[in-house]
Amino acid sequence: MEMHAGAAAGKSPEERVALVGTPNVGKSVLFGLLTGTYATVSNYPGTTVEVTRGNAAVHGRRLVCIDTPGINSIVPMSEDEQVTRDILLAERPVTVVQVGDSKNLVRALLITLQLAEMELPLILDLNMEDEARDRGILIDTQALGRALGIEVISTVAPERKGLGELRRALASRAAAVPSAAVRYHKVIEDYAGRIAALLPPAAGPARALALMALSRDETLGPRLRCALDAAAVETIERLRGECERAFARPVGTAIHEARLRKARELAEAATTRVAASPYPIMRTLGAACMHPVWGACILAAVLLGLYGFVGVLGAGVLVDFAEDAVFNGYVNPFFTRAAELLVPTQFLRDMLVGPYGVITMALTYALAIILPITAAFFLAFGVLEDTGYLPRLAVMADRFFRLMGLSGKAVLPMVLGLGCGTMAVMTTRVLETRRDRLIATFLLALAVPCAAQLGVIMGMLGGLSLTAFAIWIGCLGAVLLLAGRLAALIVPGERTGFILEIPPFRLPSAGNVLLKTGHRVVWYLREAAPLFVYGTLALFLLDKAGLLDTLKEALAPVITDFLGLPREATAAFLVGFLRRDYGAAGLHALRDQGMLDPVQTMVSLLTLTLFVPCLAHFLMMIKERGLRPAVCMFVIIAVLAVAAGGALNWTLRALAIPLG
Amino acid sequence: MKDFAHKIVQEGPGTQSMFEDETLETVWDFIELGHAPAVADVVARVGDEARVRAVSLAGFITIAGDRISLTPAGERRARDVVRRHRLAERLFADILDIKDYEADACHFEHVISASVEEAICTLLGHPPLCPHGKPIPKGACCELYTRKLAPLVRSLADAEVGAMLRVTFITSPGLQRLAGLGLVPGAALRLQQKLPAFVVAIGETTVAIDRDVASGIFVRSV
Ligand SMILES: Nc1nc2c(ncn2[C@@H]2O[C@H](COP(=O)(O)OP(=O)(O)OP(=O)(O)O)[C@@H](O)[C@H]2O)c(=O)[nH]1
Ligand SMILES: [Zn+2]
Ligand SMILES: [Zn+2]
Ligand SMILES: [Zn+2]
Repeated sequence: MEMHAGAAAGKSPEERVALVGTPNVGKSVLFGLLTGTYATVSNYPGTTVEVTRGNAAVHGRRLVCIDTPGINSIVPMSEDEQVTRDILLAERPVTVVQVGDSKNLVRALLITLQLAEMELPLILDLNMEDEARDRGILIDTQALGRALGIEVISTVAPERKGLGELRRALASRAAAVPSAAVRYHKVIEDYAGRIAALLPPAAGPARALALMALSRDETLGPRLRCALDAAAVETIERLRGECERAFARPVGTAIHEARLRKARELAEAATTRVAASPYPIMRTLGAACMHPVWGACILAAVLLGLYGFVGVLGAGVLVDFAEDAVFNGYVNPFFTRAAELLVPTQFLRDMLVGPYGVITMALTYALAIILPITAAFFLAFGVLEDTGYLPRLAVMADRFFRLMGLSGKAVLPMVLGLGCGTMAVMTTRVLETRRDRLIATFLLALAVPCAAQLGVIMGMLGGLSLTAFAIWIGCLGAVLLLAGRLAALIVPGERTGFILEIPPFRLPSAGNVLLKTGHRVVWYLREAAPLFVYGTLALFLLDKAGLLDTLKEALAPVITDFLGLPREATAAFLVGFLRRDYGAAGLHALRDQGMLDPVQTMVSLLTLTLFVPCLAHFLMMIKERGLRPAVCMFVIIAVLAVAAGGALNWTLRALAIPLG
Repeated sequence: MKDFAHKIVQEGPGTQSMFEDETLETVWDFIELGHAPAVADVVARVGDEARVRAVSLAGFITIAGDRISLTPAGERRARDVVRRHRLAERLFADILDIKDYEADACHFEHVISASVEEAICTLLGHPPLCPHGKPIPKGACCELYTRKLAPLVRSLADAEVGAMLRVTFITSPGLQRLAGLGLVPGAALRLQQKLPAFVVAIGETTVAIDRDVASGIFVRSV
């Protein structure tokens, strides 16, 4: 970690405001409203896994706002939670805005009390006041504010309700450090005092750190070691051991219980309960999504809906229209004519509008094939995200993921992988152990196609038959299961238990879904289009230099002999290294030209689905997991993809299954 | 390690059998922590060196040099005593809600019969740990795990859907993560479903867990 105590405090004059709180309480919505910058908002815990910063001006005061990953306790349980704790310790923001869930006041106050121990100037924002009111929970913010000794505000972030008050609180004077404190058992207080006395002032809030040390916070070790000499660290270890023996009960549990008592006391005094409004439809629907029978039906309906919307509408109707009518009908002929008239040399003309032309290949693929599919997918996906369906899917899929040595929690990164593998690799941070993160990263790279690729695949298989589709799904599932099982055996460590908070089922807001889709599509094109152009240029130069034929010749034993594909497919796989969706678009074009028979379509699609992760994805794997594991995965995946493709080729040809 | 308030010893000599129980329990305690105790360690806790040596003559412990170890017969008996003590602790702490239960647990361990012990164990749902987090030696009933007598405390994995429950103790790994979500001893919860995974509601928080985690959460009906 680059954050050492005190290092950040001196160097920058900017005033920082950190938004912290439990996962999924609306921090990112508030961040967006305060700064005007967009941060991804979704209805599942763990949307924000990285720190986002943005500038906010409130009534003339310039602030740097920090959106942090959600935490359930100041003692971190996973990588993303640790980021938040480190920000609080290292950056010492001028104000911390704790966003709490009004309908879960005790949980919010548990964190408030820990922030108070860290002596942080605090504003408590109780968000989701609407949902609390629906459940008959009314909170007296004034009384709670007096009891805590800080300003307490209530908001409904998506409706901007209470936002004015929050801005006023941020603009006015410096926020207060809460005066409410927890009294622990005298043995704990005694040892906390003795440990605190050993800590230099620069290390941060001594009492809070001492309590963390007593709760056996292992992540604290490195921090203490860089602020203290070895002898002092040893003394702290010794004191902790002594305290545990003297107390005869797990100290961490006792500390938690004392906080819980205080939080309950505070919450009780500030809460009034009235009759809940009868509005159980969303709750019933939310429960049905996890029901063993209804849940399966809903899952089938969701998959069918996705297939219809993305596969049939997006990859079928929209792509046909854009590719055939728009690009092949108008755009490409227009540019071809224009090039003939305006561009002097054949070389440059080919570069723009030839078979490997920037316009006829790169732009056509990006805008006519990839754009409609990704837009359709992100739209559908945004709706799913905002209802809160994904954590419920995790419940449904837990058993399947157990077979691969993972827990249902890994569903989130895997499903996000359908949107973009690169982002999904980052989301594996929500998993608790290194083992789980490794396996999830591997499976993501191997068997989760991104939306654009998936759309193309659906479109092409849709043209064949249901049997073809079933075979493709079956093969993919088998590879996923087999590879997962093997990975679980090889990677050392225990499977972690599945523990996941399920947010309320909500009606998605059209505004957020459209905004999110727009952001994602733009981001996607920015990411993809340049690589499409570079890839095309590389192919074009290889072709002109005569190297493409050499490469096709060299790879013929694999592509034509083993996989039974036409030589032209080589180019698709070559650009697949750059981006898998580009490779998929290449196969789509080949099929349109009638160069792939049904078996070849199946084999090429399966191979490309399993094919090595694209460049950006691979770089992210190196960044998150390290060079060696990433390279190992790359090699294993390349071998697996070709082997599976070959096996399918020989099986299909031997059995002569009618495909369409 | 003031786990056992040895009231019996303080109150007077008690019977020889009680003294043997205490001695064996103390030795077990030390061995559990990883080393055979010195005679002085044990005497410091039970109070009378001559009587400790008498326990050795009765064939329950051997004293080699300065160190005490358990004979097979001694180990069997120590196991039973410790088991009764820790079951009693659980009973007082979880069911009777008594705060200062140590002294009573120490009385209790000497007086309950095997059938009472079994009934308590079953009632408590064959708990694996005492309130201090130490393992409770298993008895015959735990191995059979008969459910004839509906236990008061049982694992969440055995609870029925729709039940309102209160958590008594948690032995599953990931204790801290559960605590962060409000799943702590004393919390009231409703079991919403068991398949395909367990879903519980604690106040306004809904949490999904798998069977492994659920079977480490012990609950009683409210
Ligand atoms: N009903 C209601 N929903 C809200 C409110 N605030 C946020 N939401 C919804 O809650 C969900 C989570 O919001 P986010 O802003 O992503 O939450 P977060 O705290 O940033 O979550 P993480 O990044 O996962 O820690 C979204 O679906 C929001 O639309 C509120 O006041 N009322
Ligand atoms: Zn967020
Ligand atoms: Zn005990
Ligand atoms: Zn038993």
